[in-house]
Amino acid sequence: MDVHQKIRQFFFPPVTTKFLIRVSLVALLAYLFFGYLCIPFSIRGISMEPTYHNGGVNFCWRLRYLFSEPKRHDVVAVRFAGSKVMLLKRVIAREGEQVEFRNGKLFVDGREIEEPYVRYPCHWNLSPRQVEKDCIYVVGDNRSMPIESHHFGQASKRRIMGVPLW
Amino acid sequence: MVKIKYLFIAALVVILGIVIAITVFPSEEKRVKKQFRLLSEWVSKSTEENAFTMLQRMKDIGSLFDAHCELKVPDQSLSGSYTREEISTYTGSARSQVSQLDLKFYDLQVVFPEKEVAKVTLTARLTGRSTAGEQIDETRELECLLRKIERKWLFSQIEVIEVLKR
Repeated sequence: MDVHQKIRQFFFPPVTTKFLIRVSLVALLAYLFFGYLCIPFSIRGISMEPTYHNGGVNFCWRLRYLFSEPKRHDVVAVRFAGSKVMLLKRVIAREGEQVEFRNGKLFVDGREIEEPYVRYPCHWNLSPRQVEKDCIYVVGDNRSMPIESHHFGQASKRRIMGVPLW
Repeated sequence: MVKIKYLFIAALVVILGIVIAITVFPSEEKRVKKQFRLLSEWVSKSTEENAFTMLQRMKDIGSLFDAHCELKVPDQSLSGSYTREEISTYTGSARSQVSQLDLKFYDLQVVFPEKEVAKVTLTARLTGRSTAGEQIDETRELECLLRKIERKWLFSQIEVIEVLKR
């Protein structure tokens, strides 16, 4: 068999029963993998700038917290009613902890937390509040906008869909 | 060979019959989802919309609601019971303040907790631009109750679910 024929057979293989079964299996596995385990998504909005940019593409890895809990500084995808629209946010506190912002600085249980991922100037002030049971407190990295315009707060852990792959 | 031909034709006729039956007699779930499709279509606004279309849309939106519809919005003065006319007027006034609007619904989950009552959980995303040029981008999880009145599914309650609680 010459090279030309081999290439042709690779791209246009004969449609046999074996081939059809193989194609169906690949399609099924791809559907399950990209539909339930590693969900592709595009980023809309600037709330996670400069870590994640508007228009970027990523995958939500759903098995990240199968055997562990979300930690502070993790970036997580929080779902609404389903997986079609999610919020990409950073975990800043866990259940039982007290969150506060003083002139743009994050304080958890009264202790200042370093946040190297926050690059834009922030002047937020938020009175102390306790994170409820089975919840995490999430905020975006871009805090240059007024606090009223930023979508943040505590979400139930059940709403965490996973983490971005990169 | 002839047998296979007849079997193939019979299968085709059965499939065609099923498709026609589904189209002509949609399930209750499809009827409920259709109301959301209409709401999305009628609330959305293009830049070329004229005054006549706007008035027609106001009337159309009102026809999707029950005589009294309850709105539940956490931490907002909007909560309360509204008549169909009030909803028409309110949406008309809100639409007049935007030059372009796009309402989309995602992840609709329909259940029927009792006869002639449908409970729908979904994600609603509103994007557009105000007449002042400001960008609009709001996403909320909603829980809606629809009642079947005179063979029509009408919105009787809309509740905004708090995903992130400050």
